Amino acid sequence: MGSAERRILWLMAAPFIVGVCGLVVLPALGSLSMALAEWDLVRSPRYVGLANFRELIEDPVFRISLRNSLWYAVTAVPLRLVGALGLALLLHRRGRLQAAGRVTVLIPTVIPDAAYALLWLWILNPLYGPLNLALGAAGLPTPAWFSQPAPTRWAVVLMGLFQLGEGFLIALVARRQVREELLEIAAISGAGAWGRFIRVTLPVMAPALLLIVARDTILSLQATFAPALIVTEGGPPPYSTTYLPLFAYRNAFEYLRYGYASASTVVMLALTASILWLQYRLFLRWTARVRRSG
Amino acid sequence: MRGSLVLVLVFVVMAVGCGAGSNDQVTRITVMVAGDPEEVEAYRAVVDAFDRSQEEVDAELLPFAERDELILRLSTSIAGGQPPDLFLMNYRYYGQFAARGALEAVGPHLRDSAALSSKDFFETAMTPFEWDGEQMCLPQNVSSLVVYYNADLFETAGVALPRDGWTWDEMVSAADELTRDDDGDGTPDVYGLGVDPEIVRIAPFVWSNGGSLVDDEASPTGFAFDAPAVVAMQRFFDLRTVDGVTPTDAEAEAEDLESRFLNGRLGMLMESRRVVPTFRTIEAFVWDVAGLPSFGSPASVLHSDAYCMTAGSDEKEAAWLFMEFVLGPEGQRITAEAGRTVPSLRSIAESRAFLDPDADPAHAQVFLDQIPFLRAVPVVSTWPEIEDTANGFLEEAYYGGGRALEVAVELATQTRDQFARAER
Repeated sequence: MGSAERRILWLMAAPFIVGVCGLVVLPALGSLSMALAEWDLVRSPRYVGLANFRELIEDPVFRISLRNSLWYAVTAVPLRLVGALGLALLLHRRGRLQAAGRVTVLIPTVIPDAAYALLWLWILNPLYGPLNLALGAAGLPTPAWFSQPAPTRWAVVLMGLFQLGEGFLIALVARRQVREELLEIAAISGAGAWGRFIRVTLPVMAPALLLIVARDTILSLQATFAPALIVTEGGPPPYSTTYLPLFAYRNAFEYLRYGYASASTVVMLALTASILWLQYRLFLRWTARVRRSG
Repeated sequence: MRGSLVLVLVFVVMAVGCGAGSNDQVTRITVMVAGDPEEVEAYRAVVDAFDRSQEEVDAELLPFAERDELILRLSTSIAGGQPPDLFLMNYRYYGQFAARGALEAVGPHLRDSAALSSKDFFETAMTPFEWDGEQMCLPQNVSSLVVYYNADLFETAGVALPRDGWTWDEMVSAADELTRDDDGDGTPDVYGLGVDPEIVRIAPFVWSNGGSLVDDEASPTGFAFDAPAVVAMQRFFDLRTVDGVTPTDAEAEAEDLESRFLNGRLGMLMESRRVVPTFRTIEAFVWDVAGLPSFGSPASVLHSDAYCMTAGSDEKEAAWLFMEFVLGPEGQRITAEAGRTVPSLRSIAESRAFLDPDADPAHAQVFLDQIPFLRAVPVVSTWPEIEDTANGFLEEAYYGGGRALEVAVELATQTRDQFARAER
């Protein structure tokens, strides 16, 4: 690549880089410095060193929020991946029915978070909501959404499962990259549907799936905010669905503890980075094994 | 042609000049409030009346649906250097702003005022808004926890209406008789009572039973529920799990208590004056209000909101002019007639504007009768955190059959750090 070409590429990337620096990197650095201070937005900030982090370790609500966030990530990310992949495999062919299916899958993703949360508030109404009415009519048990910790946690996961449009799109494009000839060759070699999927489709789609997992992991640590704030209000009490974003929000905006809230977001950032690193290492190991065996 | 062009230019210059002149004379102030649509309408009416009453100041109302939203906007606008001039807030929540020096004390303004005097207000409502010995905000109301009841349901069930000075046991008995399962599906269609399991709802019964909430009311260092407090708390929890006269958790989640009362499926509801503008829309049944039942000595909890002025306001004189109007006889009359407030001004509270026999509730005098027995929960900067934490554990115990003694210990433990960080 020539230097002129490289300059043009930098020039083209410049708006994005400026945007990321201004909207992500600088606020993140600001958040990091705020985490080392006690600040209520009214009085001047006071440097407290690592005191906020020490308090976080001792704070039972923070520990519960952290545990809840990790549980959500571990539960929702695989389910969303399976959902996105399954729907992509089901709907990748051209056809009127498949096109309608693709639009249907995408719709929940484009609904604003607050409106989506309010919709679920109605769907999950324990007595008058359509979900429990349908379950009751079918003679199935009706979960006490919002009253019992386990059903409420699953309700938040359920809400996330329908907003997988972006992951679905990536998986759809990746599925269309799989050349039909390869699948035909595999079929001629005697591979069944499952064999073709494992030997051909999955390896070709793997980089895209890693992208979905990475993106969903980042998202999962943030996506709980609207459901927890609007639908479950962090409960059932005391803190069954209080996740890290809600913990940070309450401390910052309701209790005016911006330094403390920033410290929790720094922990969240570190946690996200650690999980992504772990996922990347696992992916490298998996691809190496596929190459060896292939 | 040139002459007419000059004329047009002269006209434009004059028009712009006049416009600029008239804009310069009007001072604009902003007022943040939170409440239901019906409550906001009452505030809008008084703001409009203020704007009509004079030409120097134009007040703009910034309404929010929830208190949390108001606090969010208030704190960020203070940080951004553009705070509202005034905001309306409950005594339980203003402490975090007072402790941080975000408020302009209204005491000096009040002492210099020809329109308002501290002795015209109920002292019960004034005291919680004193911070460091200075009057920090001025209360608009002196509301309290009362019992709203559906008189038609009482009549249908043949239950005597609540009497003055009734007891807890009488209330439970009435609630029990009102609770009924019409379709025989095992789930009551009408519940006798509705009450949110919150610390401000439990507090008056703790006091009525001779108990205490905290170790030191003036400078609390933690919750300290004594034996009478634990007994009262247990009786409160029993409403759901032993007496079965209040909706279950799932029923309360499916339909909030206020809606249930509005729909005629709740015999009694413990609430403050806040709900009256909404309840005045009820046409299907007759409703009224009774005092809080007691465990012996009468008690209730203060519910009071005050107008607070921000230290960063650029228009403090105009803001004070607004406070003089809304908290003066004219302003208080308007909000009292809308049903929203129990006026903090004695003259209006005892006037027809509040006690109008033609306006619901018929027995508004109940609110005034309770004033001598009102007590306030502690006013400390971290009270919003303390209350959120306490309410979570109380809700869990109330619906889950928790034991009051264990909850009392849990509350004291869980809020210890919050009390330790409190400023007063």
